[in-house]
Amino acid sequence: MSGDEVPLDEKARRMRDLLSSFYGPDPSMSPNPPSKFAPLDAINSNSFNADHYLNLLIHKSSLEGLLQRHVGMAAEIKNLDTDLQMLVYENYNKFISATDAIKRMNSNIMGMESNMEQLLEKIKTVQSRSDGVNTSLFEKREHIEKLHLTRNLLRKVQGKLFSDSESIQARAEAAMLLKQLDFPVDSLKEKLFEKLEQSLGDLQLKDEDISRCLLMSNDPSKLENHPESVAATVHEASVQEFVEAVRAYRVIFPDSDKQLIKLAQELVTKNFETGEQYGKKRIRAADLLAVLRMIWKEVLLMDEVLHESVLSEFSLEAVQITVKHHVASRFSHLLHDISDALTKVYVGQKEGMEEFPLQVALGASKKAVLQGSMDILLDFRQLLDDDLELLVKLRESILNWVQEGFQDFFRELHGRFLLLSGRNNSSGQVHGVVEGTQGDRILASLVLVLAQLSVFIEQTAIQRITEEIAASFAGGGIRLYENGPAFVPGEICRSFRSAGEKLLHHYINLRNQRISVLLRKRFTTPNWVKHKEPREVHMFVDLLLQELEAIKKEVKQVLPQGLLRRHQRNDSNGSTNSSRSNPLREGKLSRTNTQKARSQLLETHLAKLFKQKVEIFTKVECTQESVITTIVKFSLKSLQEFVRHQTFNRSGFQQIQLDIQYLRTPLKEAAEDEAAIDFLLDEVSVAAAERCLDPIPLEQPILDKLIQAKLTKSLSQSAVSS
Amino acid sequence: MQGGSSGIGYGLKYQARCISDVKADTDHTSFLTGTLSLKEENEVHLLRLSSGGTELICEGLFSHPNEIWDLSSCPFDQRIFSTVFSTGESYGAAIWQIPELYGQLNSPQLERIAALDAHVGKINCVLWWSSGRHDKLVSIDEENIFLWSLDCSNKNAQVQSKQSSGMLHYLSGGAWDPHDVNAVAATCESSVQFWDLRSMGKTNSIEHAHVRNVDYDTKKKHLLVTAADESGIHLWDLRMLKAPIQELPGHTHWTWAVCCNPEYDGFILSAGTDSTVNLWLVSTSNHDELPSESLVESPNQRANSLLNSYSDYEDSVYGLAWSSREPWIFASLSYDGRVVVESVKPFLSRK
Repeated sequence: MSGDEVPLDEKARRMRDLLSSFYGPDPSMSPNPPSKFAPLDAINSNSFNADHYLNLLIHKSSLEGLLQRHVGMAAEIKNLDTDLQMLVYENYNKFISATDAIKRMNSNIMGMESNMEQLLEKIKTVQSRSDGVNTSLFEKREHIEKLHLTRNLLRKVQGKLFSDSESIQARAEAAMLLKQLDFPVDSLKEKLFEKLEQSLGDLQLKDEDISRCLLMSNDPSKLENHPESVAATVHEASVQEFVEAVRAYRVIFPDSDKQLIKLAQELVTKNFETGEQYGKKRIRAADLLAVLRMIWKEVLLMDEVLHESVLSEFSLEAVQITVKHHVASRFSHLLHDISDALTKVYVGQKEGMEEFPLQVALGASKKAVLQGSMDILLDFRQLLDDDLELLVKLRESILNWVQEGFQDFFRELHGRFLLLSGRNNSSGQVHGVVEGTQGDRILASLVLVLAQLSVFIEQTAIQRITEEIAASFAGGGIRLYENGPAFVPGEICRSFRSAGEKLLHHYINLRNQRISVLLRKRFTTPNWVKHKEPREVHMFVDLLLQELEAIKKEVKQVLPQGLLRRHQRNDSNGSTNSSRSNPLREGKLSRTNTQKARSQLLETHLAKLFKQKVEIFTKVECTQESVITTIVKFSLKSLQEFVRHQTFNRSGFQQIQLDIQYLRTPLKEAAEDEAAIDFLLDEVSVAAAERCLDPIPLEQPILDKLIQAKLTKSLSQSAVSS
Repeated sequence: MQGGSSGIGYGLKYQARCISDVKADTDHTSFLTGTLSLKEENEVHLLRLSSGGTELICEGLFSHPNEIWDLSSCPFDQRIFSTVFSTGESYGAAIWQIPELYGQLNSPQLERIAALDAHVGKINCVLWWSSGRHDKLVSIDEENIFLWSLDCSNKNAQVQSKQSSGMLHYLSGGAWDPHDVNAVAATCESSVQFWDLRSMGKTNSIEHAHVRNVDYDTKKKHLLVTAADESGIHLWDLRMLKAPIQELPGHTHWTWAVCCNPEYDGFILSAGTDSTVNLWLVSTSNHDELPSESLVESPNQRANSLLNSYSDYEDSVYGLAWSSREPWIFASLSYDGRVVVESVKPFLSRK
């Protein structure tokens, strides 16, 4: 039974319900609403139906249960009765204490009223006293309010002074105002100065300013007159402002000159520094002039304000440095241009796009030298002709610098040439870098271009430049001649002449190295003592001629023609006889060769003695013919040396004889000095005969036949290839 | 230039390539030279400069069986010398002794002490160690280096060791380091190789193409001079083989031979196929000089290093030798068989 299980709970809840029904305003608020089938424990609810409950109980429970229930219920009833008694007693107690309290209150309230009246009186006296005080202090208060207003005003002015948004001028005025008011401004002075310093930053010339200025000056259509002045307005306005500010500052703080001067000098220095940086860039003198003019204008403006600052002298020094650097940088740019033009030889050849890459490169570099120098001179002339006060003072120095500049420039160019030609070479050899034949060829052609360029500089460029300098840069004052003239064309000419010769030799050397490699291969590979009978002209001849052809092509692009050759060409154009008569003469020669080969050594010595000594190693001139002839001579000499180092059997000797015979015609066509070529070819034949165990030459008809075969073969080959 | 007049000439009968200073002859300034003739009977000439220094006297004339491609005199016995010779088809090398009483004989025969007969291919040269008595010889052919041990008294030479130069390295000549009895420099097509004779192995090399001739400086350790066909003369410091310490332009055509003076520092002779002999003076004191600097040096400086050019020759000059007894004298030999002895005394003061 649930009732037995939780007897305590049951009890407590009923107590609570009872209490709540007693105090509660509404019995319907009870937790158990009336229900038809109220549970057994709904006995506490209002809707408890005793009959119903009893019926339910009788129906549900057994007799024993009912008896138990009866006992339980009796006990409950007893409990409830005691509880009720307790409650009543407690309530009664409370009521008694309440009546006691009311009784005490009543007695306490008596006698309050008299105290209240006393208080009222006292308050009244206090009020009258305060009224009196108020009237007496009124005047003073008005004064205080007035003062407060002034103070606010001053604070505003000060705020203006230190706010960055206000212009310097406005701030200066404010400061002046404050000063007039006898406001203590000593601390302000420093602050204001700081602000001025900061504003310098804004004032400095910046690259954008310059470029803007230049853009405008270069575009005169936009601005009809005084382009620079209009262009510089933006900047000028701020300078103007600065000047005003300085002026104001000076009025306020008359003892601050030193600081201000320092400040102004700083500004000018910085501006000139910018100008100098700008001058180092690739610009024309006119642009630099515009910039300088701009700066000078500022300087003048500032000078008005600060006479003591000797700004003009100060800036003179600065301009001197700027212009000097400009001159130097122009020269270094020119040097760079020329190197660029030259290295195009490499690029052009590697890509193999142009037909005459060397010619183009030479032309370009020639132009770079001459045009570049002329441009520079023109520009510098502008610097000289300008009436800017600063530059007029610097005239002499500029003259000096230009002359020195050219001297140094050419010296450096000379060094660069040697470096270009030499360094590649030695690094290639020293470090064992196999550049391959292509690299060698390009180096050779670069050297050739350099050689011709040196000649050009020596013969043309220097002269032009000297004339130009004499025309517009003459003088330069006595100072110049104390240390000797700065620009010595003679010295430069000399150095370039030697450079040209050296480079030309270098070119010939490089080319000969290639030919030597070819010949070395030819002569070291076969076993000459066991050579087979010659069947045809050996193919090394083709390679040699190819090499010569390549050289000819290069040389023709770069070097000028000699005078001698032209005459000869005219002659041979006129008559084909000479070429037809060639075979006859050669036949004779080869016959003499045969005799020579058969004769004793003594005889050849005698023959040599009587033959006019042919100069093999003549001086190389810088002409197409001279260079080609020299190369041909050198390669024949190499051929001779290679032959001397071998020992031949009869067939080997005949092979050499055949090859030499074949070479005779094309080599003589290529080279200028026919006598020397003949002599050298004979020498090779003689050398071969001397080094042969059994020197019996080929019969003339066989020789002719083989050569003819080769000729037709190469003709058909060239026909196929073309 | 004016060089020709001072020379003392002597004509050989045939063409010739090689001349050698007889170092062991301390009483006279003498040279040995041999002819190069394929078909005639070749000769070895012993030449002596007369006491007045005005004449070249033929002190001895000996027939040699074959044409002589290389000849060098023994540095410690004036009667002994080595030759490399060719029959036209094959090569040989031998050590010869000049007979003792040759002055009294009509046609004295050279006595062959030993044949260096281990070679197969083309023999380039036989080297003696120049700085003292040393019983070893080095011979170089196209593919091998041989070290011989020579016993003069027993007339016997034996191969002590032999080493192949390696594939595709055709040797062309060499020089024996006078400062180091174990070091030999051999030239081949693309480089100069340095050999250690103890291990018979390559120790180092200079990658420099077409070196024709090398010479060690006898005074200065670590200094080697090379002559290359087209690219002239280079001076190397053996401790820094990457780049030459100095370059000289060499000759108009090939530079064939190069010789350091045994006594005077910096005097270098070179002979070329442009029929000239050039005398150079180089300052080798500042070894630290960078090669790039020497390349850019002014042309005047370069020209200055050429003291004189002796051009009184009719043909290419292949043979060149300083006299070790009178180190201001040198002998040169052009291909046409003409020996010219010159003195460089006028230039010594330039130093």
